[in-house]
Amino acid sequence: MITKPHFAFFDEGSKKEIRRATLKAVAIPGYQVPFASREMPIARGWGTGGLQLTLSLIGKDDVLKVIDQGADESVNAVSIKKLVRHTTGVSVTEDTGEANIIQSRHRIPEKQLREDQILVLQVPNPEPLRKVEAREYLTKRMHAEDDYSGAWLLLFEQIMKYGRMSTGAEHPVYVNGRYMMTPSPIPRFDNPKMHQSKALILLGAGREKKIFAVPPYTDVKSLAFDDYPFAVESFEGKACKLCGSTDVFLDEIIDPDTGERSYQCNDTSFCMEHLNAKEKEEVENSYV
Amino acid sequence: MVVDQIHDLQQVYRKILHSMSRPGNISKLNSITEKMNEEFPCNHAFLLSALTFIDAEVTFHVIANQEKKARLTEIISSYTMAKTEAIDKADFILMLQDAPEYQIEKAFIECKTGNLHDPQLSATWIVECDLLSNSTGLSLNGPGINGAQQLQTGLHHSFWQKRNEKVNEYPLGIDVILADFSSQVACIPRTTSVTITEVS
Repeated sequence: MITKPHFAFFDEGSKKEIRRATLKAVAIPGYQVPFASREMPIARGWGTGGLQLTLSLIGKDDVLKVIDQGADESVNAVSIKKLVRHTTGVSVTEDTGEANIIQSRHRIPEKQLREDQILVLQVPNPEPLRKVEAREYLTKRMHAEDDYSGAWLLLFEQIMKYGRMSTGAEHPVYVNGRYMMTPSPIPRFDNPKMHQSKALILLGAGREKKIFAVPPYTDVKSLAFDDYPFAVESFEGKACKLCGSTDVFLDEIIDPDTGERSYQCNDTSFCMEHLNAKEKEEVENSYV
Repeated sequence: MVVDQIHDLQQVYRKILHSMSRPGNISKLNSITEKMNEEFPCNHAFLLSALTFIDAEVTFHVIANQEKKARLTEIISSYTMAKTEAIDKADFILMLQDAPEYQIEKAFIECKTGNLHDPQLSATWIVECDLLSNSTGLSLNGPGINGAQQLQTGLHHSFWQKRNEKVNEYPLGIDVILADFSSQVACIPRTTSVTITEVS
């Protein structure tokens, strides 16, 4: 006998647990609230934290978008969409503007989010101090004592070694001037999008059993020194080879045969939207 | 009661989450409270807020007059399987409109605010109030608010003075969910700076 799955996969007790933790996370911006993370039908480290948040939020009328490294069609995104759709029947979309819940891994969409949208980020390593201290009770104490000297020292060591802060993704941020938080492994390019964001941002780490949040209109400041200011990745002089966008996060593609380098928008739905708009314009002009 | 425990409470959760992330922003629960025809010792939005978060894993404490306290405690326990607990241990403080002043004062002194290692181990207050509106009364500032937000709760100013004292040592503090008789909810998390602009 095959039974129908419960709405949004979870039993109501599990949802309440996640909802209570989420509410506390919103009330203490940037603080990692421990929660009873559930076993999920996908492997830990594959977005179980984000998925649990999404399932606790979602209702019958919601429209969901899931992205993985900027792409709507990659395996992780497709599997998560299938699971949520199978257990809830909600509509899924690739259009950022159409969705009201956006679950993402490693990117914040290029399109500016609205007040009625919720961004759910999947977080593999929620603790920004883990490289400094392996023991959880000690990192908790550091957060309690507002002792973030270790994280500053890490950045200082990078400057000593490489002449600049060499964080690729996960460049730590201060939230509301109190808690240090990992913004999840988004590129530095996306860090400023969290500052005074219009949308609520929820971050979930399933394996590490933590939920944290950045409420809308909250200060999010990337760590930086006066003489080594925070800088996003530079794509100066480069443009997407498909849509021609210049002020977006670009992927570098190297042709294995010729060794030629080209660049493409990382956010596939943003690129598609631009291409469609361009095409529409071309068609309209050719009719005249 | 014909409240759908899955879909209706999901809606309530989203509204409360919206209001908690945007302090002072009033959300309406009319579409759900319309279905509730039974009489309760509290307003419908208040009961829905409690049912959304309380289950057997957490504890609660009711502050109200003797008769209502007994009735509401019984209702919450039977619907959610949660146990009532002393004020200093309760995860949720449920405060009704007619709660005696001395009980409110006691609750403010004793309720949990968490500790620096675990600030989430604090009490969440669900407070019944007359009518919420965005007219003057309280001026709110802080995360979630673009500029400043006005909120009128109808609660005595001493309530907000005591609440402000309780959130002085951020990140320790309490989070408040306000539920009124017109099926509206608004929230004031501990991060919000509340300035009393009108003395009631």
